[in-house]
Amino acid sequence: MGPLGMPLCILALLTAVICMATPGTARAAGMGRSFNRLLNSVVRIDVREVNFEDGGKRLESSIGSGVILSADGLVLTNAHVVGPRAVEITVTLASLENVGAKLVGWDHWTDLALLRLDMAEIGRRKLAFAHAEFGDSDKLYAGETVYAVGTPFGLTRTVTRGIISNTSQYFEADRGVEGYETGMFNTWLQTDAAINPGNSGGPLVTEDGKVVGITSRAYMGANNLGFAIPANTAKSVLADLVSNGAVTRSYIGIVPRPLQDLEGFYSLALDTGMLIDSVDPGSPGDKAGLRGGDILLAVDDRPVDGRFPEQLPAILSLIASHPVGANLNLSVKRGADTIQVTVVTERLESSMGEEWAFDRWGLSVRKVSRIYAREHQLADDTGVIVIGVQPGFPADVAGLQPGDIVTTINRHPVDSLDILKTAHAAYVRKPEPTLLEAERDRRVSLFILKP
Amino acid sequence: MIKIQVRRLSSVLSLIALSGCIAARAASLPDLWKERVKSVVAIDYFTELENERRPTTAYGVAIDRQGTVILPSAAVDPRVSPKQLKQFKAYLPGDSSGFDAVYLGQDSFTGWHFVRVEPRLAAQLTPVTTWAAPDKSPVPALAEEIWGIGLRNKDEDFTPYLLESHVALVQALPQQIGIAQQEVAGPGLPVFNRDGVFIGLAASSFGQTFLQFSQAERGGTPIMLVDLEESCAFSLASEVLPYLGRVPGNVYGRPLAWLGAYGLESMDRDVASFLKLSDRSGAVVSEVLEESPAEKAGMKDRDVIVAIDGKPLPRFRPDRVVTDYVEREIERRKPGDSIGLTVLRGTERVELKATLGDEPKLIREAERKYFDRLGFTAREFVYGDAVARRIRIRAAAGVVVAYVKPNSPAAVAGFEQEDWIKEIDGKPVRSFAEGAARLSSLETDSLRTEFVLLVGRGSDTAIIRVKLR
Repeated sequence: MGPLGMPLCILALLTAVICMATPGTARAAGMGRSFNRLLNSVVRIDVREVNFEDGGKRLESSIGSGVILSADGLVLTNAHVVGPRAVEITVTLASLENVGAKLVGWDHWTDLALLRLDMAEIGRRKLAFAHAEFGDSDKLYAGETVYAVGTPFGLTRTVTRGIISNTSQYFEADRGVEGYETGMFNTWLQTDAAINPGNSGGPLVTEDGKVVGITSRAYMGANNLGFAIPANTAKSVLADLVSNGAVTRSYIGIVPRPLQDLEGFYSLALDTGMLIDSVDPGSPGDKAGLRGGDILLAVDDRPVDGRFPEQLPAILSLIASHPVGANLNLSVKRGADTIQVTVVTERLESSMGEEWAFDRWGLSVRKVSRIYAREHQLADDTGVIVIGVQPGFPADVAGLQPGDIVTTINRHPVDSLDILKTAHAAYVRKPEPTLLEAERDRRVSLFILKP
Repeated sequence: MIKIQVRRLSSVLSLIALSGCIAARAASLPDLWKERVKSVVAIDYFTELENERRPTTAYGVAIDRQGTVILPSAAVDPRVSPKQLKQFKAYLPGDSSGFDAVYLGQDSFTGWHFVRVEPRLAAQLTPVTTWAAPDKSPVPALAEEIWGIGLRNKDEDFTPYLLESHVALVQALPQQIGIAQQEVAGPGLPVFNRDGVFIGLAASSFGQTFLQFSQAERGGTPIMLVDLEESCAFSLASEVLPYLGRVPGNVYGRPLAWLGAYGLESMDRDVASFLKLSDRSGAVVSEVLEESPAEKAGMKDRDVIVAIDGKPLPRFRPDRVVTDYVEREIERRKPGDSIGLTVLRGTERVELKATLGDEPKLIREAERKYFDRLGFTAREFVYGDAVARRIRIRAAAGVVVAYVKPNSPAAVAGFEQEDWIKEIDGKPVRSFAEGAARLSSLETDSLRTEFVLLVGRGSDTAIIRVKLR
């Protein structure tokens, strides 16, 4: 796992004193109307989302930033600001007017989410807003001046200035976005512009007001180490979210590792190939016979170069960009031999399953996903993971603990959340002792939920 | 620490003074003491690990005229190989001169470790059986006065001292365990009644929960304290005397009766009554191990054992004791013995007949080799490793990292204990012998500057490059 930046959304809603302000005017050299227009496209986003973690459903509030990118009200922000658990999204425009918004789609892998403003309401109330434009993030250079715009700690639109510190930083995190994976398919822009909690989802812009990145995370406690998703990544994710509400990627199950310094051992020319550290059990790569220690030389005759960590996301993106179910022809070096391996891609999924809470039992759970089952060497994806119990409620009294995997209820396999929802509804109507079977560190125990 | 010792010593002295005042019975306590203290010894030994020699002291009791001594199961770390146990010495209470002793092994049923002391010392010991009741061992009555022997530490020449108490409770856990009001003997040392009859052997002490308050933790953190020097729990003589003949034939305590039902879990009252077991109990089998007697008998994962040889599993207080009961029922048998198991599978009752096997090689029996220059110990991949990694036993190959020397090339390269070495320099490791030979040649090849390993960790693999200079 790479170094872990902290997502920047504020969980506890701070009572922010919002002073009356009119949209500002930029007068600095080189900054003209386009920068003003950008300022007027940056919004504050207030989110209420449901949380299942303590054995019940709870609403939590958080704040982030966003940027309006089209005249028809598309707002780009971070996936860790707005996700599928959001139940109420309120956007504060540059004019300080509030308007509702809906989630169009999200992509935790790149930490991006797309909202659409309630255009009917905007029309009715005759509200106005500006929208920003993307710049070309590939043209950025280290040392270039950039500005981060957002609503840190809920403060009304705030501009901070810095430079691009690095144009392609690498890090990935298995649980980086609300428990979801992130960072495998893109590199990050690094900046020293001051970035604080609440900046998340706001734009990183050049002097001409072009959006070159979406601010995402920073090392908390460090001095000005901030990270943003490059605009060119955001552009393609936005296009997918507009047309499909999701980004579809292909997966073959290889865990990459930079070759750095190992070329000699594998008798490779420099800047050739990517080391496969591990192959997920049961994945397409595993089925095709790939193994840890193999060197991936080419994908469909396109040579790959994975010498350094920051080169890995491009290779994984190349694999991910193929259609699901496609045949990939991989050239692989194993020992002295170079072999051709054909892998049939699968749809990339998260290891996070759907969550739910059963109030009367005081039990909140997350479905075991196919990927979770694979990672934890479970026989299949039957079962739900206990993520919270409420003290004194039946699940707690029975002895269930977070981390337990409930596999059967009244001797029926828990192959979906619906099985539990049905049983819970029956329990609510007529509370009767209910038998659960659950696994904890591979040890199976029986539990009774009783009124 | 010093304070505690002083307190204990003074309480011991006051007890002795007190016992002196008690009106004489058939035999006075000082007379009983004088004879019975000849049944106990202190044992010490070293555990020889890659980078340290760790001394351990334990207390034992003589069980025969040949100088056989039993030590409680906690006397030896179960993760350590018997080959790493060195230099056993035995001491008479209050005497600093050590006698040679030999480690005989552990009995799986009682958990006792057996040691034999040299004849010179054996001649000075009185077997504890001398103090047994002539026919049936008495069950001590509640509130009955009992006493036992404690031994001070080595720096005090293992000086014996008296402990005295009353019986507070007798409980089936599942062995009959007496619990005294306070500490009544050192773990592994005998407990007697007022007439000097042997009534039990002190077990490891129970942990007691205390709340610890500090300025940082004002709420109080529960902590468990275990007294390692004295115990208030003892196995009754009826749980000791019949099993003194179980002297292991080898240091590994082989043969070991094996069913292969992994992860037995108890159930609480509510579950038992839901399963209509009324006042009885059951034990859930988490997994049936590959190629085990249980698998051959047709046992399935998640079967609930409810009876053994037709005898329903009793209910214990606490409920969790039932798993020990099942394990003891297996351990008291021998490989080749058959065992009848009634299991609940869903709502169905199924009768199974298993023939117990000899347990596959254990981790502590695995072959191992330490490579000082590389900085780690490799050990044989055994059955338990396949179980832990959820792989088919037939697919097992390679070696396991048993120890990583701090700051060694292996440690710097990121080696971790339990890493499973599958390939060395890109070539698969097929067996321990082959892996050890290849590692030995790396160890002695002074021209080698690096090597590369493929290791398994959980469900992942990782390439590790070890630089030798």
